[in-house]
Amino acid sequence: MYKWLWGMLVTACLIWYSTITVYVAVRGLVDIRAMLRRIRSTAQP
Amino acid sequence: MTNFNWNIDGSIVGLYLLATMLAGLWVRKYVSKVDHFLVAGREMNVYLGIASLAATEFGIITCLYTAQAGYKYGFSGATPGLIQALAMLMIGATGFCIKPLRDSGVVTIPELFEKRFGSRIRWLAGVVIVLGGLLNMGMFLRVGGEFLVLVVGFDVGYLRVTMTVLLAAIAAYTILGGMLSVLVTDFLQFVVMSAGLLAVTFLILGSIGWDRLVTAVETHHGVGGFNPFLHKDLGPSFVIYQICIQTAATLTWQAVTARLLAAKDSRTGRKVFTGAAFFFFARFLVPGLWGIAALAVLAGGWMEPLTADMQRDPSLYAMPVFLSRFVPVGLMGLLVAAMLAADMSTDSSYMLTWASVIYNDILAPFRRTRAMTERRGLLWNRFIVAGIGIYLLVFGLWYKLEGDLWTYCTITGSVYLSSMSVLLIACCYWKRANSWGAVGAIVCGAVFPLGFLIMQKIPATAELTQRIGPNYSGIAAYAAAALAMFVGSCLKPASPQDPGISPG
Repeated sequence: MYKWLWGMLVTACLIWYSTITVYVAVRGLVDIRAMLRRIRSTAQP
Repeated sequence: MTNFNWNIDGSIVGLYLLATMLAGLWVRKYVSKVDHFLVAGREMNVYLGIASLAATEFGIITCLYTAQAGYKYGFSGATPGLIQALAMLMIGATGFCIKPLRDSGVVTIPELFEKRFGSRIRWLAGVVIVLGGLLNMGMFLRVGGEFLVLVVGFDVGYLRVTMTVLLAAIAAYTILGGMLSVLVTDFLQFVVMSAGLLAVTFLILGSIGWDRLVTAVETHHGVGGFNPFLHKDLGPSFVIYQICIQTAATLTWQAVTARLLAAKDSRTGRKVFTGAAFFFFARFLVPGLWGIAALAVLAGGWMEPLTADMQRDPSLYAMPVFLSRFVPVGLMGLLVAAMLAADMSTDSSYMLTWASVIYNDILAPFRRTRAMTERRGLLWNRFIVAGIGIYLLVFGLWYKLEGDLWTYCTITGSVYLSSMSVLLIACCYWKRANSWGAVGAIVCGAVFPLGFLIMQKIPATAELTQRIGPNYSGIAAYAAAALAMFVGSCLKPASPQDPGISPG
């Protein structure tokens, strides 16, 4: 039973990690641009 | 003998380093205030937060101790990751402690404690956080250098040069850009690191096969390799200690809370916690598989490239030796870039996070007496980050590790995690908590792990520490901190002037 449990956990982990990497890579870039834009606007006197 | 090819793999690594350095240095122009330097102007959003948290909490040191756990304990070695993932998920979903913490608008946890327990407790909490944090971080640079030396195939005599070059690259953008540079480089590092981790793991599963990995664990560890309660070196005390430390780390580990406090609001911070939760399992499981693969594949005589010092506990180096022979040219470049990415993001974030506590809390009394301009504050922060870098170099070369790496990390982390988690929970949810209880918790929480570390180094008491083991010593720290908070708070007469904060 333990082997199946760990097999399922490894499969779930690799599928989740592959998906979230692509998703965060795209959405994170949008976040960086927005963050820098807001900081630039608040830094101005 | 390594598969690293200087022309192909070296070019990939060089390209990655160049891109990271340029990105890190480019955003320095946005830093004009201390607030930008320490918490990125509190403008971090969810996905950048997830990338940054994941990249920060995975360094070469993480990869090595989780692979070592896989090699020594099989799949059971991934138990701490599973526990922390559950803790992140529950704390993120409920907002337990982290909502009032972020809503309070502080820069560090000790700053919150000042509102409830007074300025002396803030200072004392700052000292114990920096003490535990710097001890914890002390091995980062050395272990990172050792990994690179083994995988790339340098002569081990080049360890100091590798460590120095690594530190100089990280320090350059951290000192200039602070949290803004850290966040942007963390994002790049998350992408490169994840690509490398996944590619190598799929290669291992494809080439070696799941059945062979499972058989290796069964042969070397029996049923204990799958169930931590049944492993002869782990057992229930290990699981209980991990529940304490992983919950405390989720609540109060400075590198984690720095992301919470840099978030736009508490809702964003909670989303970062739930979104990144499963990564904390992946960071144990993925390198754990690499360690298990080393167990399955490495034959006698694999320790030849190791120095006599490294051979004291060769389990730490089994995974890098295995990878240096297993990963093909081209993918080796991605692997080394991924590991560099992991290490740079961790080291830069940790240097900044301990610097923020030194500046914000330990130096707080001095800043009150002498008004500090933004420019002067930035200069101070940059000096502190540089000082931590020098400390890393000296401590990493001088300190000799006793026991396994994960044990060292948990003991040093417990120096402050035990007391800070108790203080944070009491601060947010127990009206009777006061400064007497806080002092008691800080002292009792630090005495056990520090005593354990010191006793390990004294020949007369070294055997006793082996008999007690790190698990009981760690559990004692958490129990003593909680008890001291309760007793101390009950002993101090209640005063209507006691400050308090409301749980959000």
